Amino acid sequence: MNENELQQTLSYLSSEINRIETIAGTLSGVESEHYKTLTNLGEDEKLQQLALEEQNASRQLGEIKSICLALSQKIEELQNKMPQ
Amino acid sequence: MLLFIGRLTRKIANEVVDKAIARMAKDQYTENLFEMIPVTKKVGLINLMENVMRAEHGTPPGRPFGTHMRFSPWDKLLFNPVHLHRFPTPENVAIDSSVTIGKNAKKPLTISTPIMIAAMSYGGALSKNAKIALAKGASKIGTATNTGESGLMEEEREAASLLIGQYNRGGWLNEPVKYKRLDAIEIQLGQGAQGSTPQRTTAKNIGKEYREVYGLEKGEDALIHSRLPGVDTKEQFIALVKKLKEETGVPVGIKMAATHHLEKEMQVALEAEVDFITIDGAEGGTHAAAPILEDDLGLPTIFAISRAAKFLAKKGAVKDVSLVATGGLVTPGDFLKALALGADALYTGTIAMMALISVQTTKTLPFEPPTGLAIYNAKATEKLDIEQSANRLFNYLNAATQEMGLVCYSLGKTSLSDVSLNDLCTLDPFLSRALGIELGYVAPDEQNEYFEGFTDLPLHEMARQNKSESSAEQHLH
Repeated sequence: MNENELQQTLSYLSSEINRIETIAGTLSGVESEHYKTLTNLGEDEKLQQLALEEQNASRQLGEIKSICLALSQKIEELQNKMPQ
Repeated sequence: MLLFIGRLTRKIANEVVDKAIARMAKDQYTENLFEMIPVTKKVGLINLMENVMRAEHGTPPGRPFGTHMRFSPWDKLLFNPVHLHRFPTPENVAIDSSVTIGKNAKKPLTISTPIMIAAMSYGGALSKNAKIALAKGASKIGTATNTGESGLMEEEREAASLLIGQYNRGGWLNEPVKYKRLDAIEIQLGQGAQGSTPQRTTAKNIGKEYREVYGLEKGEDALIHSRLPGVDTKEQFIALVKKLKEETGVPVGIKMAATHHLEKEMQVALEAEVDFITIDGAEGGTHAAAPILEDDLGLPTIFAISRAAKFLAKKGAVKDVSLVATGGLVTPGDFLKALALGADALYTGTIAMMALISVQTTKTLPFEPPTGLAIYNAKATEKLDIEQSANRLFNYLNAATQEMGLVCYSLGKTSLSDVSLNDLCTLDPFLSRALGIELGYVAPDEQNEYFEGFTDLPLHEMARQNKSESSAEQHLH
């Protein structure tokens, strides 16, 4: 793979990671809403457990956002190191 | 019938208590049962029974869960809510709880909550079922669990999405074929409840599976040496860290007992370019250790975290080296205060075990302690329900993370990692000076004025004299 192709691949990865970051952020919000909805549906133990799992999913999607951000920074470092 | 039994019991109790009080009132004090009360208060109930155990067995009692003393005054710290000068965090903003350990490693370790499961080994401490349940619960929440000082148990590796392994003083995980399968490597130099004291599990207490995981021969004891095998000099330690980092790419750190020599120990770790440092305070738990090691050795967690964080800041290493705190952290409040003092993440052991067992305590109580469900080769080991345990641990970690997040809204912070010393005040003047936290008694702009006379206190003079004496002693040596 020549430098130009590598640069293009890095750009592609960066753009896709940005998309994943956005999707994770959106889904995190959705899961958070689900948690709120489920906690309003009565005292059923299974529903309450589902609510906790939705809350956890929301948190882990938040974590994915952080990972994506770190990956984007790594890619940017690589791109900056390559000859323009 | 029940009414009759109830009345009879009351009558018997009444007679017994009346006679006991009359007897205690009449008997000479030296022959009086009541003497147990002052003597127990003098010696302490725990010491009383532990002395009986020493006398009975002739060996140090192995006390589970670490010291009962709360050395770290966490309750003297309070968070500072905000209203107007800085606004609270809006409720529709999610509080970020993720943490990355070893940011400079080729493969950093990112966890969804700063709470990780502490090192508790299979065999040396816990049963296989308990280890699998810990791994499952941790994986469900998105955090890491720790092997403890043992070999690599396949079932634990499979159940844990993130597994930190201890390169240990027993040598059981110290082969590339094992440590290359880990998500982070923690070089175990010591622990809060035992310092760097050697430990031994006798062969008679080691079963077939235990031997397989540890690579022991039949009849061989499991020995934890005071030093890491093959590491007798600073240079050998530095070479070991370099080798592990090159071979694996995962974060490589150390775990040590908190000590007054903290900064000197950390200096060597920084020279070795570790990715993280785990400090285990004197309140750290353990499977079993002699009371003297648990009660009389080490440095309290609160001061250890503060000193370690300040040292990393002084060395400009805060971003390069993650600080992991552990040892006697009991409540989500303790956890968040530890983060505010400068820890990046933390381990919980005792509390994780309590959450894991949770309502299953009914399977052993009132005739056996609940630990019997989770300890290796204990009486009720097989009764532990793995799935139920994993779910309870998940629920606990979820609740504790959420609880820490609640404080963040009041502090106007959007991430647990943003909480800092400025978000705390203290109710103790000495803690204020030691930890660098403002004293809650007086306004921020009156802090210096309040402490002005403190340098004239006799204690300060004594400390100065002690310092000059000790430096004179050092010159003599």
